[in-house]
Amino acid sequence: MTQQTPLVTPQHTTASPVPVAKSYPNGNPDAPMNPPGARNTDSCLPLHPTAPVEHIYTTEGPAPGDIAFRWIHGSQCAATNKDPRIQILTYNDDTFILRENPCIHWEAPFTYLLFGNHGALLINAGATPEPEYYPLRATVDKLITRWCQSRNRPNLSLTIVLTSAEHRAQNQALGQFNGLSGTARPNTHILLTPPSTIDLGGRVLDILPTPGTHKDGLTLYDRYTQLLFTGDLLYPGRIQIANDRDYLRSLTTLTQWSDHHPVKWVMGGHVRQMFIPGRCYPRFANFRPFEHTLELEPTVLEEARSHAEKIIGQPQVVFRADFILLNRVGPDEQGYRTSAEFPPIDVPYWLP
Amino acid sequence: MTDLNRRTFLALPIASVLIPTAAALFPEESEAQPPRQIDFTQNLPAKGSFPDKWIHGSPSCLDNRDPAIQVHWYNEHTAILRQNKAYSYEAPFMHLYFGNERILLIDQGYTKLAHDWPLREVVELCIKEWCLRNHRRPEDMALLLSFTHLHDDHYAAIDQFADRPNTRAMGLSHEQMIGFWGMTAYPTQRVSLDLGGRTLLIWGSPGHTVSEFAYYDTYTQILFTGDMFYAGRCYISFWDLWFASMQRLIAFVDTHPVTHIVGCHIEISRTGEDYPYGITYQPDEAPLQLTVEDLRHAYAIAQKVTEPGIYFTGKVFLCNQTRGTTTVDQNPYAYD
Repeated sequence: MTQQTPLVTPQHTTASPVPVAKSYPNGNPDAPMNPPGARNTDSCLPLHPTAPVEHIYTTEGPAPGDIAFRWIHGSQCAATNKDPRIQILTYNDDTFILRENPCIHWEAPFTYLLFGNHGALLINAGATPEPEYYPLRATVDKLITRWCQSRNRPNLSLTIVLTSAEHRAQNQALGQFNGLSGTARPNTHILLTPPSTIDLGGRVLDILPTPGTHKDGLTLYDRYTQLLFTGDLLYPGRIQIANDRDYLRSLTTLTQWSDHHPVKWVMGGHVRQMFIPGRCYPRFANFRPFEHTLELEPTVLEEARSHAEKIIGQPQVVFRADFILLNRVGPDEQGYRTSAEFPPIDVPYWLP
Repeated sequence: MTDLNRRTFLALPIASVLIPTAAALFPEESEAQPPRQIDFTQNLPAKGSFPDKWIHGSPSCLDNRDPAIQVHWYNEHTAILRQNKAYSYEAPFMHLYFGNERILLIDQGYTKLAHDWPLREVVELCIKEWCLRNHRRPEDMALLLSFTHLHDDHYAAIDQFADRPNTRAMGLSHEQMIGFWGMTAYPTQRVSLDLGGRTLLIWGSPGHTVSEFAYYDTYTQILFTGDMFYAGRCYISFWDLWFASMQRLIAFVDTHPVTHIVGCHIEISRTGEDYPYGITYQPDEAPLQLTVEDLRHAYAIAQKVTEPGIYFTGKVFLCNQTRGTTTVDQNPYAYD
């Protein structure tokens, strides 16, 4: 008699295994009772919580989370685009990534909404002020309401931090919160000059001043997800250096920071790079079907630093696979470069 | 749809003689109202007007409620079409000239599929409207599709007309382009196109590209210079060719009356501010039409140009051998 083997072995296959914390202070997402979708979280919420759910944000390694599908990327004709105005990606139960539709504004910035036990944090505020075009406040309110309901909590306070207060592609919807357009949102704190740490209730973020692309540039580090939110300083696209000495100094700060603090990914505020190494979409492009991923490996910190070091004082464009540095030149200087390092790969326009 | 070579082009006037005979076979329509024969040679230049503002995009393209194509009747027999910036940032202009026997559409926009951008539908509506006014049947009117130059923001939608009867389209190569007009000595040879009483003069005007034409309508006396000279950044790829074309234009305006000089795009504001390449909202656009003085002034400046670079004439940026998408923008956040 042969040994019986189970007909179906339940398996969850992912292309890259998500680093899951070894200890599960909030309930084991790998427990058999949890469906595969629960693997992107370490919080196993009770169905009907009778008391406020307290989440423990101390994990070994980065909190689970993944970006497993494609961002909305505009369409051939922007006027007939049918995508949502704001795409919401649930990175994990307490971390949301929001993308503005590129047909509303070509910068198509990413904003991040992070939750802690006692507060929510919104990083950046989009490129469009009009709430009827870009309903950032309504979207954030809905997310907060739903988050609170599932945790049996009363309303949370919201803190807003901008990676640069002067950056017009990241501060425009601030008026929806501070009352410039419509009524001011209650229980909201807009910190244009934030302290060095923000505690959301168990979830702590470190804030590092990183001028270089903007005079008032900031970078946020989330200890829970171990993501580094760099805004305009380092992102997959054409990075316009506003002051090269400051830029190098800030990248040195970040590389040193990453020596002592594990960084899972570098999360910028935009994507303008194509998936073709060294190629970028032009400014104002609102149809970008072949975008680079938003997340960058932490090795780009050292890569960017070493190249920023070489171009101090020189008007130059540095082409790298994942980003392009523009120092002391206009934003449209040199669209792309072909060399042995960057072979002339055609943009596959024949794909949908 | 066939390509028009020199032989079929020369045969065209014969076909046009046959058309009134064919119309006589349908007495119920021709009896009701005989086709109105328009005299395109009197009271020149024919009066016409440009709109104060063209459609010019919107802050959020997703929320743009303008038509996909703006149709502006310059006069009863001339329509100027503009593509909506929310459908394509190039927002090119297209010209539709009506004659007694045929219709000429110069340029076909920057979006290929009718599903995305219904150029053919709009052109058919224009033809229908004109035919109603002039007691004709649209199917009797031949349609010629040509373009100013061999760049895809000027012919992308040409395939939308592929199955249209009585239609001839310019081919997408240099040889087919000059063959369409029956030219044997490009770019200097000037040919005339008879739309049925309405004559257009066409000659080579290279410089932005190698394959490019200038069109002059004797009825409105509008000189259509395509991307070679327009209110925006004239990307001059071949300076010597462009300068020679400029000399031809100057020689032409010396000897012919010209009411307006129009191009295919607007990339500049009324105050002379440059709208950078690719932008989708131009709230304070300069007018499309330029004057003969603007052309002469640009020519005077061009005579002094010896090096690649961007030269501003006050109305037009002459981008001599700069990269295709070069702008004059600076980083607004730069600091010391």
